[in-house]
Amino acid sequence: MSTQAFGEGRVSWRRLLAGLAVTGTAAATLIVLTAQGVLAASFSVSGLPFTVTADKLEGTGFEQFATLDEMAPDSPNAGDTGGQLVLIVSAVKTAELTNLCQSVDLGGTSLKITAGDAGTPVTATNLVVDSDLVSGNASFNEIEVGRDASTLNRVPGVKGNIGVFAQQARTVTITNLRQNNFATTAATFKLAHLHMSFEPDGC
Amino acid sequence: MSTLDTSGTHGPADPSAGPAPSGPNPVRHERPRRFRHWRRTRPFWGGLVMLLGGAEILLTVWAPLPVVLHVGLQGSLGYLVPIVIMCGALLVIFTPAQRMFLAVVTALLGLASWLTSNLGGFVLGMLLTLVGSAMAFAWKLRTAPVAGDPADLGYPDELQPEPEREPELGRWGERESEAG
Repeated sequence: MSTQAFGEGRVSWRRLLAGLAVTGTAAATLIVLTAQGVLAASFSVSGLPFTVTADKLEGTGFEQFATLDEMAPDSPNAGDTGGQLVLIVSAVKTAELTNLCQSVDLGGTSLKITAGDAGTPVTATNLVVDSDLVSGNASFNEIEVGRDASTLNRVPGVKGNIGVFAQQARTVTITNLRQNNFATTAATFKLAHLHMSFEPDGC
Repeated sequence: MSTLDTSGTHGPADPSAGPAPSGPNPVRHERPRRFRHWRRTRPFWGGLVMLLGGAEILLTVWAPLPVVLHVGLQGSLGYLVPIVIMCGALLVIFTPAQRMFLAVVTALLGLASWLTSNLGGFVLGMLLTLVGSAMAFAWKLRTAPVAGDPADLGYPDELQPEPEREPELGRWGERESEAG
Protein backbone atom coordinates (compact mmCIF):
# COMPACT_ATOMS: atom_id res chain seq x y z
CA MET A 1 0.00 0.00 0.00
CA SER A 2 2.40 2.64 1.16
CA THR A 3 5.33 1.13 -0.63
CA GLN A 4 5.02 3.41 -3.62
CA ALA A 5 8.14 5.49 -3.98
CA PHE A 6 6.74 8.70 -2.54
CA GLY A 7 8.79 11.74 -1.79
CA GLU A 8 8.05 14.28 0.89
CA GLY A 9 5.36 16.81 0.22
CA ARG A 10 3.46 19.64 1.75
CA VAL A 11 0.20 21.50 1.42
CA SER A 12 0.21 24.08 -1.33
CA TRP A 13 -1.51 27.14 0.09
CA ARG A 14 -2.78 28.32 -3.26
CA ARG A 15 -4.47 24.99 -3.96
CA LEU A 16 -5.84 24.85 -0.42
CA LEU A 17 -7.49 28.23 -0.87
CA ALA A 18 -8.93 27.15 -4.23
CA GLY A 19 -10.32 23.93 -2.73
CA LEU A 20 -11.78 25.75 0.26
CA ALA A 21 -13.35 28.37 -2.01
CA VAL A 22 -15.14 25.68 -4.04
CA THR A 23 -16.36 23.59 -1.09
CA GLY A 24 -17.17 26.69 0.96
CA THR A 25 -19.33 28.08 -1.82
CA ALA A 26 -21.15 24.76 -2.16
CA ALA A 27 -21.68 24.53 1.61
CA ALA A 28 -23.00 28.10 1.76
CA THR A 29 -25.40 27.31 -1.10
CA LEU A 30 -26.69 24.23 0.74
CA ILE A 31 -27.19 26.18 3.94
CA VAL A 32 -29.04 28.98 2.18
CA LEU A 33 -31.29 26.53 0.29
CA THR A 34 -32.08 24.72 3.55
CA ALA A 35 -32.86 27.97 5.31
CA GLN A 36 -35.25 28.86 2.49
CA GLY A 37 -37.06 25.57 2.99
CA VAL A 38 -36.13 24.24 -0.46
CA LEU A 39 -33.96 21.35 0.70
CA ALA A 40 -34.95 18.94 3.45
CA ALA A 41 -32.45 18.01 6.14
CA SER A 42 -32.58 14.76 8.07
CA PHE A 43 -32.29 14.50 11.84
CA SER A 44 -31.56 11.64 14.14
CA VAL A 45 -30.58 12.65 17.64
CA SER A 46 -30.09 10.22 20.48
CA GLY A 47 -28.53 9.89 23.89
CA LEU A 48 -28.70 13.59 24.73
CA PRO A 49 -32.08 14.74 25.98
CA PHE A 50 -33.35 17.61 23.90
CA THR A 51 -36.38 19.84 23.89
CA VAL A 52 -38.71 20.61 21.03
CA THR A 53 -41.30 23.34 21.25
CA ALA A 54 -43.66 24.69 18.64
CA ASP A 55 -46.58 27.11 18.72
CA LYS A 56 -48.63 24.80 16.56
CA LEU A 57 -48.31 21.35 15.07
CA GLU A 58 -50.70 20.18 12.37
CA GLY A 59 -50.21 16.61 11.30
CA THR A 60 -51.82 13.87 9.30
CA GLY A 61 -51.31 10.30 10.39
CA PHE A 62 -50.65 10.17 14.13
CA GLU A 63 -49.69 7.31 16.44
CA GLN A 64 -48.77 7.23 20.08
CA PHE A 65 -47.75 4.33 22.30
CA ALA A 66 -45.52 3.55 25.25
CA THR A 67 -42.19 1.83 25.11
CA LEU A 68 -39.59 0.74 27.62
CA ASP A 69 -36.04 1.88 26.95
CA GLU A 70 -33.22 0.01 28.62
CA MET A 71 -30.19 2.05 29.63
CA ALA A 72 -26.71 0.62 29.35
CA PRO A 73 -25.76 -1.48 32.40
CA ASP A 74 -24.49 0.72 35.28
CA SER A 75 -25.36 3.89 33.39
CA PRO A 76 -24.71 6.94 35.60
CA ASN A 77 -28.08 8.35 34.49
CA ALA A 78 -30.02 5.38 35.85
CA GLY A 79 -30.62 6.93 39.29
CA ASP A 80 -33.52 5.17 41.07
CA THR A 81 -35.18 4.07 37.83
CA GLY A 82 -33.51 0.65 37.80
CA GLY A 83 -32.06 1.44 34.41
CA GLN A 84 -35.40 1.43 32.66
CA LEU A 85 -37.20 4.38 31.18
CA VAL A 86 -40.84 4.48 30.12
CA LEU A 87 -41.05 6.65 27.06
CA ILE A 88 -43.89 7.80 24.89
CA VAL A 89 -43.32 7.19 21.22
CA SER A 90 -45.12 9.69 19.02
CA ALA A 91 -45.10 9.30 15.29
CA VAL A 92 -46.47 11.72 12.72
CA LYS A 93 -46.45 10.94 9.01
CA THR A 94 -46.43 14.53 7.78
CA ALA A 95 -46.42 17.54 10.04
CA GLU A 96 -46.36 21.30 9.72
CA LEU A 97 -44.86 23.17 12.64
CA THR A 98 -44.91 26.90 13.19
CA ASN A 99 -42.27 28.57 15.37
CA LEU A 100 -40.28 25.39 15.86
CA CYS A 101 -37.52 25.52 18.45
CA GLN A 102 -35.16 22.65 19.19
CA SER A 103 -32.45 22.79 21.82
CA VAL A 104 -29.85 20.32 23.01
CA ASP A 105 -28.38 20.91 26.47
CA LEU A 106 -24.61 20.57 26.20
CA GLY A 107 -23.96 21.35 29.85
CA GLY A 108 -23.83 25.09 30.43
CA THR A 109 -24.71 26.12 26.91
CA SER A 110 -27.47 24.97 24.63
CA LEU A 111 -27.39 24.49 20.91
CA LYS A 112 -30.60 26.13 19.79
CA ILE A 113 -32.19 25.73 16.37
CA THR A 114 -35.21 27.80 15.46
CA ALA A 115 -37.13 27.72 12.21
CA GLY A 116 -40.56 28.31 10.72
CA ASP A 117 -41.02 31.66 12.39
CA ALA A 118 -41.37 33.83 9.28
CA GLY A 119 -44.67 32.80 7.75
CA THR A 120 -43.52 29.52 6.17
CA PRO A 121 -43.97 26.58 8.53
CA VAL A 122 -41.44 23.80 9.00
CA THR A 123 -42.56 20.59 7.34
CA ALA A 124 -41.48 17.24 8.68
CA THR A 125 -42.08 13.72 7.36
CA ASN A 126 -41.90 10.45 9.28
CA LEU A 127 -41.25 12.24 12.53
CA VAL A 128 -40.73 9.61 15.24
CA VAL A 129 -39.78 10.82 18.69
CA ASP A 130 -39.26 9.06 22.02
CA SER A 131 -40.22 11.48 24.78
CA ASP A 132 -40.75 11.36 28.52
CA LEU A 133 -42.86 14.51 28.51
CA VAL A 134 -45.37 15.75 25.96
CA SER A 135 -47.60 18.68 26.74
CA GLY A 136 -49.91 20.87 24.72
CA ASN A 137 -53.52 21.31 23.75
CA ALA A 138 -54.37 18.58 21.32
CA SER A 139 -57.38 17.89 19.15
CA PHE A 140 -57.76 14.80 17.01
CA ASN A 141 -59.88 13.65 14.10
CA GLU A 142 -61.04 10.04 13.85
CA ILE A 143 -59.17 9.03 16.96
CA GLU A 144 -59.01 5.38 18.00
CA VAL A 145 -58.00 5.02 21.63
CA GLY A 146 -57.03 1.71 23.19
CA ARG A 147 -55.96 -0.01 20.05
CA ASP A 148 -53.21 -2.61 20.36
CA ALA A 149 -49.85 -1.03 19.57
CA SER A 150 -48.92 -3.84 17.20
CA THR A 151 -51.85 -3.11 14.88
CA LEU A 152 -51.25 0.60 14.26
CA ASN A 153 -51.40 1.63 10.62
CA ARG A 154 -51.52 5.43 10.41
CA VAL A 155 -47.77 5.86 10.00
CA PRO A 156 -46.27 3.27 7.64
CA GLY A 157 -43.59 1.11 9.24
CA VAL A 158 -44.02 2.32 12.82
CA LYS A 159 -45.53 -0.18 15.25
CA GLY A 160 -45.26 -0.96 18.92
CA ASN A 161 -45.10 -4.22 20.82
CA ILE A 162 -48.09 -6.54 21.05
CA GLY A 163 -50.31 -5.97 24.06
CA VAL A 164 -49.29 -2.33 24.60
CA PHE A 165 -51.92 0.40 24.88
CA ALA A 166 -51.87 2.78 21.95
CA GLN A 167 -53.89 5.41 20.16
CA GLN A 168 -53.92 6.69 16.65
CA ALA A 169 -55.69 9.39 14.70
CA ARG A 170 -56.08 10.54 11.13
CA THR A 171 -55.21 14.15 11.83
CA VAL A 172 -53.87 15.94 14.85
CA THR A 173 -53.54 19.58 15.86
CA ILE A 174 -51.47 20.48 18.90
CA THR A 175 -50.99 24.04 20.08
CA ASN A 176 -48.26 25.12 22.51
CA LEU A 177 -46.48 21.83 21.97
CA ARG A 178 -43.63 20.99 24.30
CA GLN A 179 -41.71 17.73 24.19
CA ASN A 180 -38.76 16.49 26.17
CA ASN A 181 -37.23 13.96 23.80
CA PHE A 182 -34.59 11.29 24.09
CA ALA A 183 -34.45 10.25 20.49
CA THR A 184 -35.62 11.45 17.13
CA THR A 185 -35.19 8.99 14.32
CA ALA A 186 -35.41 9.32 10.59
CA ALA A 187 -37.16 12.65 10.57
CA THR A 188 -36.81 14.83 7.52
CA PHE A 189 -37.30 18.52 8.15
CA LYS A 190 -37.67 21.39 5.72
CA LEU A 191 -36.36 24.13 7.93
CA ALA A 192 -37.61 27.41 6.52
CA HIS A 193 -35.91 30.45 8.06
CA LEU A 194 -33.32 28.33 9.85
CA HIS A 195 -31.38 29.93 12.67
CA MET A 196 -28.78 28.07 14.68
CA SER A 197 -26.92 29.44 17.70
CA PHE A 198 -25.34 28.63 21.04
CA GLU A 199 -27.25 30.19 23.88
CA PRO A 200 -27.25 29.90 27.67
CA ASP A 201 -30.95 28.94 27.76
CA GLY A 202 -32.81 26.34 25.80
CA CYS A 203 -36.31 26.60 24.39
CA MET B 1 11.82 11.35 37.83
CA SER B 2 9.89 8.77 39.76
CA THR B 3 10.97 5.99 37.39
CA LEU B 4 14.57 6.97 37.91
CA ASP B 5 14.09 6.84 41.66
CA THR B 6 12.62 3.34 41.55
CA SER B 7 15.47 2.13 39.37
CA GLY B 8 17.80 3.65 41.96
CA THR B 9 16.18 1.64 44.74
CA HIS B 10 16.48 -1.47 42.63
CA GLY B 11 20.06 -0.61 41.79
CA PRO B 12 21.82 -2.12 44.84
CA ALA B 13 19.82 -5.33 44.57
CA ASP B 14 20.50 -5.79 40.87
CA PRO B 15 23.54 -3.77 39.80
CA SER B 16 23.69 -5.25 36.29
CA ALA B 17 20.29 -3.70 35.39
CA GLY B 18 21.42 -0.17 36.29
CA PRO B 19 23.70 0.89 33.45
CA ALA B 20 21.66 -0.57 30.58
CA PRO B 21 18.93 2.14 30.25
CA SER B 22 21.40 5.01 30.75
CA GLY B 23 23.50 3.98 27.73
CA PRO B 24 22.90 5.53 24.30
CA ASN B 25 19.82 4.11 22.63
CA PRO B 26 19.84 4.74 18.88
CA VAL B 27 16.42 3.14 18.31
CA ARG B 28 14.74 5.62 20.62
CA HIS B 29 16.11 8.60 18.69
CA GLU B 30 15.40 6.94 15.36
CA ARG B 31 11.68 6.44 15.94
CA PRO B 32 10.37 10.06 15.93
CA ARG B 33 12.51 10.80 12.88
CA ARG B 34 11.05 7.86 10.97
CA PHE B 35 7.52 8.82 12.01
CA ARG B 36 8.15 12.38 10.83
CA HIS B 37 9.34 11.08 7.50
CA TRP B 38 6.30 8.82 7.22
CA ARG B 39 4.04 11.80 7.98
CA ARG B 40 5.74 13.98 5.41
CA THR B 41 5.37 11.46 2.62
CA ARG B 42 1.55 11.60 2.71
CA PRO B 43 -1.25 14.14 3.39
CA PHE B 44 -1.25 13.13 7.05
CA TRP B 45 -2.80 16.21 8.67
CA GLY B 46 -5.50 16.54 6.03
CA GLY B 47 -6.47 12.90 6.55
CA LEU B 48 -6.47 13.33 10.31
CA VAL B 49 -8.72 16.41 10.18
CA MET B 50 -11.09 14.51 7.86
CA LEU B 51 -11.11 11.53 10.23
CA LEU B 52 -12.03 13.81 13.14
CA GLY B 53 -14.84 15.37 11.10
CA GLY B 54 -16.29 11.98 10.19
CA ALA B 55 -16.06 10.80 13.78
CA GLU B 56 -17.82 13.93 15.06
CA ILE B 57 -20.70 13.47 12.59
CA LEU B 58 -20.99 9.80 13.53
CA LEU B 59 -21.15 10.72 17.23
CA THR B 60 -24.10 13.07 16.69
CA VAL B 61 -26.16 10.47 14.80
CA TRP B 62 -25.18 7.52 16.98
CA ALA B 63 -28.22 5.81 18.48
CA PRO B 64 -28.61 2.62 20.46
CA LEU B 65 -29.51 -0.26 18.15
CA PRO B 66 -33.04 -0.83 19.52
CA VAL B 67 -33.96 2.78 18.80
CA VAL B 68 -32.71 2.41 15.23
CA LEU B 69 -34.55 -0.86 14.73
CA HIS B 70 -37.96 0.26 15.88
CA VAL B 71 -38.30 2.66 12.97
CA GLY B 72 -36.47 0.46 10.49
CA LEU B 73 -33.21 1.48 8.93
CA GLN B 74 -34.61 4.54 7.18
CA GLY B 75 -31.96 6.69 8.76
CA SER B 76 -29.11 4.45 7.63
CA LEU B 77 -27.87 7.07 5.17
CA GLY B 78 -27.12 9.24 8.18
CA TYR B 79 -24.66 6.58 9.38
CA LEU B 80 -23.32 5.61 5.98
CA VAL B 81 -22.07 9.08 5.06
CA PRO B 82 -19.79 9.64 8.10
CA ILE B 83 -18.52 6.04 7.96
CA VAL B 84 -17.47 6.45 4.32
CA ILE B 85 -15.86 9.80 5.21
CA MET B 86 -13.77 8.04 7.86
CA CYS B 87 -12.78 5.27 5.40
CA GLY B 88 -11.76 7.93 2.87
CA ALA B 89 -9.68 9.69 5.52
CA LEU B 90 -7.80 6.48 6.38
CA LEU B 91 -7.25 5.71 2.70
CA VAL B 92 -5.84 9.20 2.09
CA ILE B 93 -3.25 8.47 4.78
CA PHE B 94 -2.43 4.91 3.73
CA THR B 95 -2.70 5.21 -0.06
CA PRO B 96 -1.54 8.78 -0.68
CA ALA B 97 -1.27 8.27 -4.44
CA GLN B 98 -5.08 8.32 -4.68
CA ARG B 99 -5.48 11.49 -2.62
CA MET B 100 -7.10 13.56 -5.39
CA PHE B 101 -10.01 11.18 -5.99
CA LEU B 102 -10.45 10.51 -2.28
CA ALA B 103 -10.38 14.22 -1.46
CA VAL B 104 -13.09 14.98 -4.02
CA VAL B 105 -15.29 12.10 -2.78
CA THR B 106 -14.95 13.05 0.88
CA ALA B 107 -15.62 16.71 0.09
CA LEU B 108 -18.87 15.74 -1.66
CA LEU B 109 -19.83 13.46 1.23
CA GLY B 110 -19.01 16.24 3.67
CA LEU B 111 -21.50 18.43 1.82
CA ALA B 112 -24.05 15.60 1.73
CA SER B 113 -23.75 15.18 5.49
CA TRP B 114 -25.51 18.54 5.90
CA LEU B 115 -28.67 16.94 4.53
CA THR B 116 -28.31 13.39 5.85
CA SER B 117 -26.62 13.57 9.23
CA ASN B 118 -27.90 16.18 11.66
CA LEU B 119 -26.87 19.22 9.61
CA GLY B 120 -23.36 17.85 9.18
CA GLY B 121 -22.91 16.98 12.85
CA PHE B 122 -24.27 20.45 13.73
CA VAL B 123 -21.90 22.15 11.26
CA LEU B 124 -18.65 21.28 13.06
CA GLY B 125 -18.09 17.86 11.49
CA MET B 126 -18.93 19.16 8.04
CA LEU B 127 -16.41 22.01 8.36
CA LEU B 128 -13.66 19.65 9.56
CA THR B 129 -14.35 17.26 6.68
CA LEU B 130 -14.29 20.06 4.10
CA VAL B 131 -11.07 21.58 5.48
CA GLY B 132 -9.41 18.15 5.72
CA SER B 133 -10.34 17.18 2.18
CA ALA B 134 -9.12 20.55 0.87
CA MET B 135 -5.80 19.93 2.67
CA ALA B 136 -5.50 16.49 1.08
CA PHE B 137 -6.43 17.98 -2.29
CA ALA B 138 -3.79 20.69 -1.92
CA TRP B 139 -1.00 18.32 -0.91
CA LYS B 140 1.89 18.39 -3.39
CA LEU B 141 5.09 16.44 -3.73
CA ARG B 142 7.98 18.72 -2.94
CA THR B 143 11.03 16.48 -3.23
CA ALA B 144 11.75 13.82 -5.79
CA PRO B 145 10.81 10.31 -4.70
CA VAL B 146 13.44 8.67 -2.50
CA ALA B 147 15.76 11.64 -2.37
CA GLY B 148 18.90 10.89 -0.40
CA ASP B 149 19.22 7.57 1.35
CA PRO B 150 16.84 5.00 -0.16
CA ALA B 151 17.12 2.85 2.96
CA ASP B 152 15.04 5.51 4.77
CA LEU B 153 11.80 4.22 3.31
CA GLY B 154 12.68 0.60 3.82
CA TYR B 155 11.86 -0.54 0.31
CA PRO B 156 13.39 -3.74 -1.02
CA ASP B 157 16.12 -3.02 -3.57
CA GLU B 158 14.19 -4.34 -6.54
CA LEU B 159 11.45 -1.76 -5.90
CA GLN B 160 13.82 1.21 -6.01
CA PRO B 161 13.27 3.38 -9.06
CA GLU B 162 16.18 3.14 -11.48
CA PRO B 163 18.41 6.21 -11.70
CA GLU B 164 17.54 8.43 -14.62
CA ARG B 165 19.62 7.92 -17.72
CA GLU B 166 20.46 10.23 -20.54
CA PRO B 167 18.25 9.38 -23.50
CA GLU B 168 20.32 7.31 -25.91
CA LEU B 169 19.70 9.09 -29.15
CA GLY B 170 21.88 6.77 -31.17
CA ARG B 171 19.65 3.79 -30.66
CA TRP B 172 16.56 5.70 -31.78
CA GLY B 173 18.46 6.87 -34.82
CA GLU B 174 19.31 3.27 -35.73
CA ARG B 175 15.68 2.16 -35.37
CA GLU B 176 14.45 4.97 -37.57
CA SER B 177 16.97 4.03 -40.24
CA GLU B 178 15.93 0.37 -39.96
CA ALA B 179 12.26 1.29 -40.35
CA GLY B 180 13.06 3.48 -43.35
